[in-house]
Amino acid sequence: MPHSTSTPRLGDLERLVMERLWEAGRTHGATVRDVHEALERDREIAYTTVMTVLDRLAKKELVTRERDGRAWRYFPADTREALTAQTMRRTLDDMDVTDRRAALLHFLDGASSDEIADLKAALAVVESRADEEASAPRGLRGRLRR
Amino acid sequence: MLPLALAGLAVVLVWVAPGLLARQVRLRRAPRAALVAWQAVSLGGVLAALFVAPAAVPELLGGDPMADHPALVALAAVASIVVLARLLLSGHLVGTRVRAARARHREIVDIVAEHDRGGVRVLQHPTATAYCIPGRSSRVVLSQGVLDTLPERQLDAVLAHEKAHLKARHDLLLEFFTVLHESVPPPLRSHRALTEVRLLVEALADRAAVRRSGEVATARALVAIAQGRYPDEAMGAGTSAPVRMHLLAVGPHPVLSATAYLGAVVAVGAPVVLLSAAWS
Repeated sequence: MPHSTSTPRLGDLERLVMERLWEAGRTHGATVRDVHEALERDREIAYTTVMTVLDRLAKKELVTRERDGRAWRYFPADTREALTAQTMRRTLDDMDVTDRRAALLHFLDGASSDEIADLKAALAVVESRADEEASAPRGLRGRLRR
Repeated sequence: MLPLALAGLAVVLVWVAPGLLARQVRLRRAPRAALVAWQAVSLGGVLAALFVAPAAVPELLGGDPMADHPALVALAAVASIVVLARLLLSGHLVGTRVRAARARHREIVDIVAEHDRGGVRVLQHPTATAYCIPGRSSRVVLSQGVLDTLPERQLDAVLAHEKAHLKARHDLLLEFFTVLHESVPPPLRSHRALTEVRLLVEALADRAAVRRSGEVATARALVAIAQGRYPDEAMGAGTSAPVRMHLLAVGPHPVLSATAYLGAVVAVGAPVVLLSAAWS
């Protein structure tokens, strides 16, 4: 009995399909039928939907495919770890630095080791200032105790 | 005389004012007002450049009705249209590129990242990083490294920072300045405006982080993320981190805001006043 009634978004489906392929492994791969059977265990999903999703993933170069008799066999182009690392490195190949910085907003663009030393020194200033403010309301009592 | 004044104003607002504004480092203590001033200066520069030709028309006509000199009027229109077209083209190119890159990145994040509470995506990677993908279907992305390193209060600061970017649509602001940057011919481009605006946007988001978790937690989060990189990911110098840290130490400066807002009004008002004077 499928427990998911609402149709998942295309992005979620791509994720589910990729997860199946990663489980199947880079050497073994999976056919549309394999993926469909695995996904159908948890949700109602049409065979053609799985086919469409795999086709989209192939266009995005996230999967590769080879002829296997009359069917296509699909393989993940990269391991999940490699794809994560690539995402982390922001290797959006066709982007120059100006574009990338307009496209994604990072909490911190990174710091050199010299800068980290400066940052730590500045952190000490912020912390000591906060300490002073915290002890200020206690006034004389706080100062006398020292 | 007035068209010359407008041309002069365009030069001042496009080339001189950004240098002066960038040197006013005190303005960073009032990031919101400073951003308004930067936008006003840029917009004023564009308006002044657009208005030069229309302002020259009445002077060149010398009292004749416009219909007597169709070529002159057409020339003035073409001059303004060229400036406008350059801007629109740059806007289109930058917008398309940035949106395509964002969409591609978001698709991959949706596939590789895990969903955490509150719609935050988590990348299984030891490097500490946090960022957002702005746009209509925005995402906040954290790495497992940042979840492992930062205590809750610092994590809240980071999330408040990223959510402030998304909520205030800082991406549009950055896009606007990227468009202006690219609409200027390459030999004349100055990185000053774009660099300073990027810094101000971060400083503004940091204020949201401070409101959520306080200066100390925000400052600690900055240091933790700066240190949380894997050794193989060497970073270049000259990032915004030291300045932001300094701003956290000195705190905001409300008096400066008023000056910045006043400057903004003058920058946008001047070209409009000059054009209307030319036609009266």
